[in-house]
Amino acid sequence: MNATYKKRIVTLLWTILWATVALQSPSLAQTSHGTDVAVVVNSDTPVADLSLSEVRKVMLGERQYWSSKLPVVLLIRAPAARERDVVLRVIYQMSEAQFKQYWVAKIFRAEAASPPRIVYSNDMQYELLTALPGAIAFVDSRNIRPGVKVLRVDGHLPGEKDYPLR
Amino acid sequence: MRRRLPVLVGLMIFASGAARAQTAPDQTEQIRILLERVQQLEKRVGELETKTVAAAVPTAEAAAPVPAAPKPEMAEAVPASAPMHQHEQTESQATTRQLEARYPSLQIRGFGEVNFSTTDQRGAISGFNLGQLDLHLASALSHKVTYFGELTFNAQSAGYTLEVERSIIRYDYNDFFKLSFGRYHTPIGYWNTAFHHGAWLQTTISRPEMIKFGGTFIPVHFLGVLAEGNIPSGGAGLSYNAGVGNGRGFPISRPGDAGDNNNNRAWVANLYSRPAKLYGLQMGVSVYRDKITLPVNPAGNDFREWISAAHIVWTKETPEFLAEFANVNHKNILTNAITNNQAYYVQMGYRLPWFEKTLKPYYRFEHTHTPLSEQLFTNQDLVQSIVGMRYDITNYASFKGEYRNFKRLPTDPRVNGAFFQTDFTF
Repeated sequence: MNATYKKRIVTLLWTILWATVALQSPSLAQTSHGTDVAVVVNSDTPVADLSLSEVRKVMLGERQYWSSKLPVVLLIRAPAARERDVVLRVIYQMSEAQFKQYWVAKIFRAEAASPPRIVYSNDMQYELLTALPGAIAFVDSRNIRPGVKVLRVDGHLPGEKDYPLR
Repeated sequence: MRRRLPVLVGLMIFASGAARAQTAPDQTEQIRILLERVQQLEKRVGELETKTVAAAVPTAEAAAPVPAAPKPEMAEAVPASAPMHQHEQTESQATTRQLEARYPSLQIRGFGEVNFSTTDQRGAISGFNLGQLDLHLASALSHKVTYFGELTFNAQSAGYTLEVERSIIRYDYNDFFKLSFGRYHTPIGYWNTAFHHGAWLQTTISRPEMIKFGGTFIPVHFLGVLAEGNIPSGGAGLSYNAGVGNGRGFPISRPGDAGDNNNNRAWVANLYSRPAKLYGLQMGVSVYRDKITLPVNPAGNDFREWISAAHIVWTKETPEFLAEFANVNHKNILTNAITNNQAYYVQMGYRLPWFEKTLKPYYRFEHTHTPLSEQLFTNQDLVQSIVGMRYDITNYASFKGEYRNFKRLPTDPRVNGAFFQTDFTF
């Protein structure tokens, strides 16, 4: 075995080793971008425009009332839904594990009585949005249906250039 | 070179295997989630197929054109009454009812831990201990009133003791004013109200010495009334806590659960900011004022206590940074003798990007100083460094290992110790 051949084998082995390690990194494996995700609320909710940090405050449970008589009801899609991925990545800036831990801690600190309600389909989400005053949810902008209010985020609606939730 | 190659290949296979082993629990979790999702979708398909059969006879409703999805900005203006079958409506109403709030709605969560420790301190005994078993109760009594409770079971040499750590009933008027009554963790600084008795929630095995349970430096518990809420402050994200209560009882580590031991109420105020543009940052200041009455003290029974504290934390995990400082001022009312006790800690951690982000190394330095002239506290001097690693076994359990090096009095030797803990929530 000559020196060049040995060097090639070593290089190949190192490449495989680093590729193996790199593939473990979710930052490389889990980047996906798609259509905008709309922030939708029950049509009676007295809000039309929120900044991204205000949306974050609502979703973190730091703002719990739209008005003194209307509590916020948080709805979030179950794991594996794209809307949930966008909400976790852009708004919470947390992994799935961190999100779960955040809400365990939030309730444990007596800062909230319950975590966001999990919805398993768009149908279920729309039913709850129309039935529960104060409900807020996240919907793929291609699936927006009548009867709900779509909020502007940082002054933009889904589909506009600088819309932040995508 | 020929000898090295098999070793290198072996190492590579081992590294790959180890990496795969680390990710196995998360893959299992993902598979479980996907299976659940498949089951839900199958159920949904089945329901839709049933509906299709039921709707085989054409009706005017079915033949009606489905309204096109409106543009987002117009969505509000379109009426919500899309045509629906009676069965579908009944099913939707049932789903909605399931998720509608019911009162009271009790939720119970538990926290537990198992510890092992060993040190080179003379006379110290190494071994396992069970730590605390903690039960947390949260129950919404209406959309404005909520009860929170926390009970711990503590292993003692002769059995277990039960302690009511927190018992709070809170009325929410709005985000700016929430009023509660009960037994709290005193809102001084950050840690005491962030992690409570849930070891799994905190990065490290134990609390900093200045706020340890059963300690006296800061009154960990507070019995009374507390107002809290947000302060309209735009991007500054200000919030407050303000309370009046019994203050320290006797022994001074306890909050006077069965009644105050003097006619003076303690008060506490905490102001903190979570700036909107620096998501993850929190900084705040706290003050606490009390009159402490000891049953026996030859130099006078009554002391004024004034605690001032500040904290700054970055709660994201890449990196995590926590720092708190507190000064405890005591004044003997009879002699006017004043002492100041200081304590602080700085903790840093970083959630590593590899192995599904399950590893988090951390370091904490803490220092406590009590002057020799201090009349209320026994000496609590401490200089301690902690280096450790947290490994999240699953989303709800972790394993922690720590090396600690600490020294108490100047004449004491340095102590080295290894500490291990597995903690979880259930």
